[in-house]
Amino acid sequence: MIMIRAIVRPERTATVMQSLLEAGYPAVTKIEVAGRGKQRGLKLGNVVYDELPKEMLMVVVNDHEKDFVVRAVMESAKTGDKGAYGDGKIFVSNIDEVYTISSGVRES
Amino acid sequence: MKEVTAIIRMNKINQTKEALVSEGFSAVTAIRALGRGKRPVEPALIQAINENPRDSADLLSGLAQGGRLYAKRLITLVAPDDKASSIIQTIIKVNQTGAPGDGKIFVSDISDVVRIRTGETGDMAIDEMNGSDRRSK
Repeated sequence: MIMIRAIVRPERTATVMQSLLEAGYPAVTKIEVAGRGKQRGLKLGNVVYDELPKEMLMVVVNDHEKDFVVRAVMESAKTGDKGAYGDGKIFVSNIDEVYTISSGVRES
Repeated sequence: MKEVTAIIRMNKINQTKEALVSEGFSAVTAIRALGRGKRPVEPALIQAINENPRDSADLLSGLAQGGRLYAKRLITLVAPDDKASSIIQTIIKVNQTGAPGDGKIFVSDISDVVRIRTGETGDMAIDEMNGSDRRSK
């Protein structure tokens, strides 16, 4: 299976989760994180904000659903037509084994 | 090396830590997380709406956003390949109540590990015994 970790703007998480839900992926884990990107944070006057609040959404899906979910997250996390700096990143990694604790069953 | 990521109930974290230590896995990273699973909505809520359809307009609009997010703990351990299965069994044994919401365990591959203190890489860096030996010398 595939784990998709998306770091998005906190104000967009509700939108992203809604579009994932409508796409049929209700299961999400959300973690509040802080980070900066290639632009080295935000500079306003003399003040540099390099720990910008973001939220990380974690979804685990079957291999063949990867592109679909990535596109769903991408479209809903983007701000404006072209997107803007700070919209976030999506990381995709491989998961070898998945277990459901309540049943103890290995799912893949 | 394998990375074992488990999402468990908030109130099971102490028991899980104890069990993992008694199995010899003391190195754990824990993060507070919010999450929900596949279970769409609590049955009790649906029943309440059925009984009182008139008062449930705002409940229904809330339902359109899916189930609520529950507070969970996300724990991560990195272990040599042959230890992963005993970690998984330990976590399952402690956290299994049989009810939905017990959580999930994800296992993925880690290509390298570096111990920052010494610069050791690979299995040497996560070998607990090796590390404690070095400290006592």
